[in-house]
Amino acid sequence: MDDQNTDSSPRRPSRRDILSLAAAAGAFTALGSLPAFAATAPAARPSESPLLPEASTTRFWYPAPASDTAMIEQGLPIGNGRLGALTGNDPSRELLLLTDATLWTGGRNAVLDADGQFPYARENFGSFTLLGRLTVDIPDHDLSAVSDYRRDLDISQGIVSSSYVRSGVTYERQIFASHPDDAIVLHFSQRGGGRYTGTVTLAGTHDETTTTDGARTYASFGAAFPDGGLRYGAAVTAYSSTGTVTTDGARISFAGCKDLTVVVSGGTNYAPDAAAGYRDPALDPQKLARSKVLTAARHPFTSLLHSHVADHRALFDRMGISLGESSSVQRGLDTWERVRARARDGEADPELEASYLQFGRYLMIAGSRDSLPLNLQGLWLDGNDPDWMGDYHTDINIQMNYWMADRAGLSSSFDASADYCLAQLPSWTELTRTLFNDPRNRHRNSSGKIAGWTVAISTNIHGGGGWWWHPAGNAWLSNSLFEHYEYTQDAAYLARIHPLLKGACEFWEARLLTTTVTDPATGKDREVLIADSDWSPEHGPLDAKGITYAQELVRALFENYRTACAVLGRDSGHSRTIASLQERLYLPQVSPKTGWLEEWMSPDNLGETTHRHLSPLIGLFPGDRIRPDGSTPKAVVDGATALLTARGMESFGWANAWRSLCWARLKNADKAYQLVVNNLRPSIGGTNGTAMNLFDIYEVSTGRGIFQIESNFGTSAAMIEMLVYSRPGHIELLPALPDAWARSGSVTGVGVRGGFVIDLRWRDGKVTEARLRSVGGRSTTVSYGGVSRALSLKPGGSVTLRDFSR
Amino acid sequence: MRSSSYPSTPPMSVTAPPARRATRALLVLALAAGLTATVPAAMASSPAAARTSTAPTTARAAVAAPAQKPFMGWSSWSMQSSKYPGLNPDGDYSYLTEKNVLTQAGALASKLKKYGYEYVNIDAGWWRDTTWKPEFDGYGRQAPDPVRFPRGMKPVADDIHAKGLKAGIYLPAGLEKEAYGAGKVPVWNAPGCTTADIVHGDLRTTNGWDSAYKLDFSRPCAQKYIDSQAQMFADWGYDFLKLDGVGPGSFKSGDNYDNVADTAAWQKAIATAGRPIHFELSWSLDINHAADWKKYSNGWRIDTDVECYCNTLVSWENSVDDRWADVAGWTRHAGPGGWNDLDSLDVGNGAMDGLTKAERQSYATLWAIAKSPLYTGDDLTRLDDYGVSLLTNREVIALNQGSTPPARPITASGDQQVWSAKNADGSYTVALFNLGNGPAAVTADWSSLGFSGQGAVRDLWNKENLGTYKDKVTQALPAHGSRLFTVTPHGPAQQMTGYEAESAANTLSGNAGIGDCAACSGGHKVGNLYQGGKLQFNNIVVPKAGRYVINVAYISGDARPAQISANGNGATGLKFPSTGDWGTVETVGVPVTLKAGSNTVTFDSGDGYAPDIDRIDVPKLS
Repeated sequence: MDDQNTDSSPRRPSRRDILSLAAAAGAFTALGSLPAFAATAPAARPSESPLLPEASTTRFWYPAPASDTAMIEQGLPIGNGRLGALTGNDPSRELLLLTDATLWTGGRNAVLDADGQFPYARENFGSFTLLGRLTVDIPDHDLSAVSDYRRDLDISQGIVSSSYVRSGVTYERQIFASHPDDAIVLHFSQRGGGRYTGTVTLAGTHDETTTTDGARTYASFGAAFPDGGLRYGAAVTAYSSTGTVTTDGARISFAGCKDLTVVVSGGTNYAPDAAAGYRDPALDPQKLARSKVLTAARHPFTSLLHSHVADHRALFDRMGISLGESSSVQRGLDTWERVRARARDGEADPELEASYLQFGRYLMIAGSRDSLPLNLQGLWLDGNDPDWMGDYHTDINIQMNYWMADRAGLSSSFDASADYCLAQLPSWTELTRTLFNDPRNRHRNSSGKIAGWTVAISTNIHGGGGWWWHPAGNAWLSNSLFEHYEYTQDAAYLARIHPLLKGACEFWEARLLTTTVTDPATGKDREVLIADSDWSPEHGPLDAKGITYAQELVRALFENYRTACAVLGRDSGHSRTIASLQERLYLPQVSPKTGWLEEWMSPDNLGETTHRHLSPLIGLFPGDRIRPDGSTPKAVVDGATALLTARGMESFGWANAWRSLCWARLKNADKAYQLVVNNLRPSIGGTNGTAMNLFDIYEVSTGRGIFQIESNFGTSAAMIEMLVYSRPGHIELLPALPDAWARSGSVTGVGVRGGFVIDLRWRDGKVTEARLRSVGGRSTTVSYGGVSRALSLKPGGSVTLRDFSR
Repeated sequence: MRSSSYPSTPPMSVTAPPARRATRALLVLALAAGLTATVPAAMASSPAAARTSTAPTTARAAVAAPAQKPFMGWSSWSMQSSKYPGLNPDGDYSYLTEKNVLTQAGALASKLKKYGYEYVNIDAGWWRDTTWKPEFDGYGRQAPDPVRFPRGMKPVADDIHAKGLKAGIYLPAGLEKEAYGAGKVPVWNAPGCTTADIVHGDLRTTNGWDSAYKLDFSRPCAQKYIDSQAQMFADWGYDFLKLDGVGPGSFKSGDNYDNVADTAAWQKAIATAGRPIHFELSWSLDINHAADWKKYSNGWRIDTDVECYCNTLVSWENSVDDRWADVAGWTRHAGPGGWNDLDSLDVGNGAMDGLTKAERQSYATLWAIAKSPLYTGDDLTRLDDYGVSLLTNREVIALNQGSTPPARPITASGDQQVWSAKNADGSYTVALFNLGNGPAAVTADWSSLGFSGQGAVRDLWNKENLGTYKDKVTQALPAHGSRLFTVTPHGPAQQMTGYEAESAANTLSGNAGIGDCAACSGGHKVGNLYQGGKLQFNNIVVPKAGRYVINVAYISGDARPAQISANGNGATGLKFPSTGDWGTVETVGVPVTLKAGSNTVTFDSGDGYAPDIDRIDVPKLS
């Protein structure tokens, strides 16, 4: 068998070509086809090894396997954007908890509760659940009988590996989730004359029955959730150049194998298409999974590995970062010791901190590609009852999941988020039209009018909402999608999301109320537009009009929509209507009582002072109406700063990340950095902080920590925001560089709004070189040390800036 | 005040000890409850006023010293006490029959004898029927139940001896209430003595279940009664006696439960009975009486029953895992003549034992290195392959039976622990334990053993040499897992720099103060480290930054925690194993991260009670 010959390419492509080919393929898929479990094109098979020497890799390592009862904190994650797993890496029992981004229970959930809000339970709203458990048992390799164990997560190549010695033989294991082959691959090898004997077991977690095919040596299961639920299935095969591999009941057995390759895949018949009810009735996931693993198994392991690494590197290598050098003592510690030492000794560990950022990028690559976006759990589960169903929370969490993507050179990873919203939009629109003005809904439009669309605080994958209505959620989702355009300047993308922005604007046209306020400065009354009754997430009065959260989001929405109309040359009349509404929108003032930017159109503090959400500061971050650069009234900046100060430094995961981003915007490096450091604290016994596998843990109740992935992404985004601030037409270098990273550092491939990518070097706290490349942007200013330079570039062009001495 | 190693309950109280330890006590209390109806008549006939008993202190063992090594064998209680299907078809504890004992003796002889296992020990119930009703002879002595042992006890011992094994038997402490017989039962070979003459006039009860009247050794007839029992066992040919329910211990304290005099009487009786009999005490003996137990017996159970009284023989949590914490303070009391008894070693059959492979290995490892007697309670006819490998590993058995002293913890007693003992040939026995519920790496630092550089590691369970390791060995252990190594130093002795706790250079705060300490270097220690008390060593100078495992010499009569930090950085909470009393110094290694130059190291009691600190020694790293 010579699979390299299946590539009909007339010339041998260079490694660079392969990398760019893979990148281009990804971009095409994301924009050109529906993200679903579907047959994949033949994988690109690089003719040269894309593998990195170990010294050039970015990796985490551990001296012991994961506990199979603490996989969410100790299991090492892999994923190909849709198909993921947490891996345990025990020598005698490799355990993979398999997930597919689309494997959800539940349905559209379109019957409101008695309070006019959405039901929010697993049996109606549904939940993200496990696809299955894969175990590879090797009974002779009991952990008590092996020595010198180690496992690694190499995020630069996307490989989990482990090694150990048993009776003088070194055994090695590699596991990865391949996007090109749309499967997870496990490879077992050895040096020293060893043999593998054991079994491979694939089991569902919803009482499915696994069957085997002896002739083709695979095991698989398939099932469907009741009442029109999803169909799903998975399959596994195994092969070796030596020994025997056979089926044995519901398992695959292997004996006397010098090496062994196991390939597993699976998926569902989810279709991101409201018109089709989010199902593809023609798709048999079990069959498709079987076809994928048998196709992959026609290739030698090295070929699968090289395809995967080339594909992974094409994304991972888009951004690089150095925050300085760590000490040899720090470098000598395993990752978990290192996390603990960072907190205990209070000494910065710049390499660990840079790697933590890169880990966020790794999770983004692994969890957000050609399928549904990252949910509260990203793509990773250790059971079928994730908190908050592992859903999409629209009042911070799904937005924070993607704050990092464009900044971190992973614009293509953002697509899953946009694809999701667009695919849900018809259903969201229908639910809004038919249900939002239900008289029992306390947040209905008192105007009686209804138009456009909005969402609930939680959304599922079936077009449905959960928990309470969230009127301003439409604006926040729209603004997030628009910001992606700001980074890419991709007009085709803007055209895709334009209807979504427009529908959100229409919703607010029907919802805004007119009221009279007295201007505190002039004492004059004026008519303003305010949002109808709403809840500022997730504290204070349930029915407040004109909450800052909504006012800021709607203002940005209107601004973004008008920009979109202008760029696309569409809806100019409607754009002018929206502009007139925008002019009249009320914007929050600073409370004379508290000195804080008001959250509720009231001088009083009506909520929890240190509440996790920073809803009233949404104009500071992610919005940028509030700017500490003289363009915003000082009183407003001071009020925002005072409120942020009052919110405190000791929250948890995502709340700390958001605080850090706000402090970065305020150019307070110490506070921005301290909040990153707070999130890097080790999570022990469920406390807030970073787990062994670097997942961020939130202590939801004493002793019970849960994984919330947006914290990883938010913290990573904050680290970048400390190095580069941007908005269209304006870039600022090192706005909040902490002392810990100041001595020397560099970052490459950072996306900036306005359509550029920047590389940056600094030494002794000062920029030494900046290189700006246009990915569509034409002009911007670059500001550093009080000096602004105006630049013009053609798309594709670049310029290097030096001589930043003040 | 120090507390004993066991939870004490008020005499005659029905209050249960903490649940996980309570099973045995409650169970036997329940059994005894049915029998108390026979007591009142006896109370009325109590003739003499109670007198204070004093233990004879002059008794010395006259027989050829037994227990030069921890004994090895089998005990009946694990299977008697288990609800494992089929073991006790005729009611609780009904497993104990001649047939079953001899079946196990046969299996012991054929499978394990060649590895040193020799005792076949009959536990509680040999004189009670399946309803737990006792039999006594005409002299108030326990007599074999005719259903369980139709031929009596001597033929059983004879048959055991015929297999080249030794026979063991069992008694509770005191005069069992049912044997009292209104005080009129004569004592064998003691003219004029009846049961009324051997107990206290008020019929005060004793032992862990209050199932017996306390013997009054100020009355000569009491010794005669013990003599009569000892002679009976000697005549039957028994080689081993377990005296159970002994106090202080057995969840009891107070004068009524002080059975030290009983143990002395037994030792004396055995010495004159004409047959060497190994004398073992049970259960949860009070460590404050360690000197008594050493003086009068050949071994003492340091803990409650290892059995779980459940559907398996034992379980990890109830109560195999207690022993890591509980044996530490006892370590130095073990030696030729008397050993710390950790109870049955039920590792022979995973399904029956109720343990994972890792748990079974850890169980066997601790028992071996603590120099506990090695007696299994398994069904020896149903050992699985892994169980056989654990019970018959000659290197491990040699460790237990050889000259190496009992190992003690050389790390603080968290979930990951290292235990060590120095072998006669200069090598070290090193056991790594992971008592946590998930896999974890455990590191043994050579500096804590006393040498530096390279060390060769022999893996005893896996019977292979792992090669040489520099400075330390780290291995991944499964949940509740272990490794057992012999480490042979190939490097020089570890050079250390010592810092005395009492040094004027240090900073004491809170209640902390300097106290006299005969066992301490320099004759002083820093104590009163409680509720904010803090000891800070100043000016600890090292030439380069890094992780240093400092040796902390301390005193702690019970296991106590301290918060340890360097240079005011974050503290690590560590629990120091008990040193057994407040006059003994032990040393554990504590990792700290030091910077090049001058450092501080702080021991902070926080809001708790920390050990007293003698000194610290900081390795000189090459």
